Amino acid sequence: MNALAWRIRRLPAPLRSGRVLIGGGIVLAVTVIAIFAPWLAPNDPQEQDLFGNIMPPAWDPLGDPKYPFGTDNLGRCILSQLIYGARVAMVVAVVASTGAMVIGVTLAHIAGYFGGWIDGLITRLVDLWMSFPPVVLSLILMLGLGVGVSNVILAIILVDWTRFCRVVRSDVLVVRQRDYISAAQLLGFGHFRTLRREVLPSVMPLIITLMALEMGIAVVVEAILSFVGLSVEADVSAWGVMVADARQYMYQSVWGLILPIAAITVTVMGFNLLGDGLRRTLDPRLRQERHAQA
Amino acid sequence: MSLVEARDITLSARIGDMSVEVLRNVSFTLEAGETLGLVGESGAGKSMIGRLFSQLLPPGFAVSAGELIFDGENLITMSQTKRRRLLGKRIAFVPQEPMTALNPVLSIGSQFNEHLKRLGVRGGRARRDLAIKILSEVHLPEPELLLGKYPHQLSGGMCQRALIALAFAGDPVLVVADEPTTALDVMTQARIMALIAEMQQLHGTAMILITHDLRLAAHVCDKILVMYAGDVVERSGARDLLADPRHPYTRSLKRANPTISGPRMRLPTLPDQMPGLVEFSNLSGCRFSPRCPVNADACRAGVPAMLEIGPGHDVLCVPACASGERDISEVEAPPAPGGNGTDAPLVELKNVSRRFVTRGKWFANATTVDAVNDVSFAIGQGEFIGIVGESGSGKTTVARMIAGLDQPTEGQILVRGKDARLQTAEAKAERLETLQMIFQDPQSALNPRRMVESLLTQAMEADHRNHDAEERGGRAVDLLREIGLPGDSRRRYPSQLSGGQRQRVNIGRAICIAPKVLVADEIVSGLDVSVQAQILNLLLRLREELDISLLLISHDLSVVRYICSRVFVMHKGCVVESGPTEQVFADPQHAYTRTLLSAVPPDDADSPWPPLFSESEADVVRAF
Repeated sequence: MNALAWRIRRLPAPLRSGRVLIGGGIVLAVTVIAIFAPWLAPNDPQEQDLFGNIMPPAWDPLGDPKYPFGTDNLGRCILSQLIYGARVAMVVAVVASTGAMVIGVTLAHIAGYFGGWIDGLITRLVDLWMSFPPVVLSLILMLGLGVGVSNVILAIILVDWTRFCRVVRSDVLVVRQRDYISAAQLLGFGHFRTLRREVLPSVMPLIITLMALEMGIAVVVEAILSFVGLSVEADVSAWGVMVADARQYMYQSVWGLILPIAAITVTVMGFNLLGDGLRRTLDPRLRQERHAQA
Repeated sequence: MSLVEARDITLSARIGDMSVEVLRNVSFTLEAGETLGLVGESGAGKSMIGRLFSQLLPPGFAVSAGELIFDGENLITMSQTKRRRLLGKRIAFVPQEPMTALNPVLSIGSQFNEHLKRLGVRGGRARRDLAIKILSEVHLPEPELLLGKYPHQLSGGMCQRALIALAFAGDPVLVVADEPTTALDVMTQARIMALIAEMQQLHGTAMILITHDLRLAAHVCDKILVMYAGDVVERSGARDLLADPRHPYTRSLKRANPTISGPRMRLPTLPDQMPGLVEFSNLSGCRFSPRCPVNADACRAGVPAMLEIGPGHDVLCVPACASGERDISEVEAPPAPGGNGTDAPLVELKNVSRRFVTRGKWFANATTVDAVNDVSFAIGQGEFIGIVGESGSGKTTVARMIAGLDQPTEGQILVRGKDARLQTAEAKAERLETLQMIFQDPQSALNPRRMVESLLTQAMEADHRNHDAEERGGRAVDLLREIGLPGDSRRRYPSQLSGGQRQRVNIGRAICIAPKVLVADEIVSGLDVSVQAQILNLLLRLREELDISLLLISHDLSVVRYICSRVFVMHKGCVVESGPTEQVFADPQHAYTRTLLSAVPPDDADSPWPPLFSESEADVVRAF
């Protein structure tokens, strides 16, 4: 026990938090599953076994070891669909939140650093944007953009950049007041260099935290949109599609419904734990308090 | 029987698996109505003695031996409830930071009401009348109006007055004041200390004054304890101590602080700084011995005993030092660096004014503040110039305008004869190479995510220069030597450095591209005296080696006297007096300069201080 405690103390600061370890572990596991899906999945997720539809999981007396989690109403392997579904979820999570982050953080830096009319303009735009309910906005966007995973990503970026912009801007405003920004200007730094070398590193912990939380949100949004059939094509496995399909025969077998929901829940919880843990370890204020107690 | 008697108190702290003695064998007595000063630099343990009275000790700290007797009862073993009945009533506290000690969301009136209710004053009407009475005792104008105000509407000095009124409201027999004037400027400090003395007389109260300023303590206290790393190193009558300090640390403390009159002595510097709590356990023998200029073998062998060398004068040192036989020789300082007066000035201010306009909201009128009004002067090659004045006199605005962080509303600033407003790349680059600024607070001025090496050579990263890592590394090594930091600090972050080391890095960064003029805004005000002496001597050495000029903004007149050859006295945005430093300080012409000089505690223990200000009330009114 002591040896374990000692080992944990030797880890870099962010990894010493239990939340980061658990959350990070879940996220890492889902990522590995997504990347190696073709090798991990026991069956082709779209292959239909019409003689063995709605089969219970393998541990049930009626189950078949060929389908560890059973099959859906078309006789497709649930486990394989879950594994392939992780791909869609992770692609949307990573690409959409990176896109939202890039737009939001860039505008936040411009607004917070330069201030004045440009700040007023960007802040008003964010206010206006955030006054639309996000679900309605994304549904409208999906109707306009059309169906497809890439459009789901685009919709998430267009809806959620404001989260980054608003929060990061207030942090930039605080950093802007520090003397080291004035010092950098006196040392001959241009605006771009000051932003890149002085401001951005200071707000990076916040951005990392927001990224983790945004990825969790993106997974949920993708699941919602694929549930209503606005996301992937019919021959691609996604967790939201699985929930939508299983809903119709849930009285015959509940596993087809429970398992994708569990996958979504665990993944989102992983991102949230990671984000929360990173916030606690990277936030200098919380860190100092803990130092003072030590 | 004495009012307070501390008998061999040892305070221990658990840090990790170690137990450290934060205070060792602290003993003192305090009679009713007397004032006891606790003097030492940060980390000496003086605030811990103050905290013993309230028993509000940090977690892991506990008294392991000794007793603290207050009026016949031991405060350390006393029950919580009993102690709570004493605190605020018989023992009151005056805190260090007046602005944060008052609750910002409650009006002054409701804070008084709450306190007086706890003191047992019955009836809202009676409490209000009493509050008004004690607020007028501390010379706050219009106390009726003040009761409805909130702390942010008051100046620092007024907040401290209100807190003193709160402390004395219960007619206490003992007041513990922890650095009551550290956050305030010289003028306010003198006024507050005069007020505390007056209140003490009025109520017959004893006081424990915790301060880092030996001279201040010598003038307002009866007895003084000098603390170093948890030990009482010297205990003496106040005047005696300033006139004839015996412990090597007390001597260094006295001499590290430049004087305001008399011959200018070179400041002796102690190596390093006060050890941190964790290092305490590695110090065998006298804890001061690693930094002691005398440092005999006997000092490292064991803790010396307290020696009585005169009536009421004890020293924790070996007999040879305590008797005053061995002493560090004093050297007269060379005159403060001045220019030769012939070269063209590097920086010139011509009738510079800065007016701030606050735009009125809705129907309120716009208000204008003349922060700087018609200021003209020039800085020549190698010249050290000082600007002094109290807070709000506009001295920082002058510094910011010279550095180019702010623009004058009228007049002109010339850098090497060219208008500082020119925005061509060439003009900008020339300005940067001529002029650099050292910021006041290194905590805020150093990016916490850069390492020392990267901070020092930050200028080489700028747009128009392109230096590779190797060049930067080489320059960083040079700069570390220049500013006197060990080579292994290259790879540290600012948070891993002490305050003095951070300020060195702050200076090192400014001299990286070898500028001609440094603008330094209050760069020593947050530092302990021994570290301040190190930094001042560093600046003088840089002058010799690099022939730089310096514009030093400071509220500390003795610091300006030590390193500046010319001085400008600013008051409400105007320069009221200027000239050679020695001449201005020895024979001040303007009334304001005289007041400012009289506010500094004198070096001579027998001259009375704090002075009585005739216009002390006028100033308080002005703050509204």
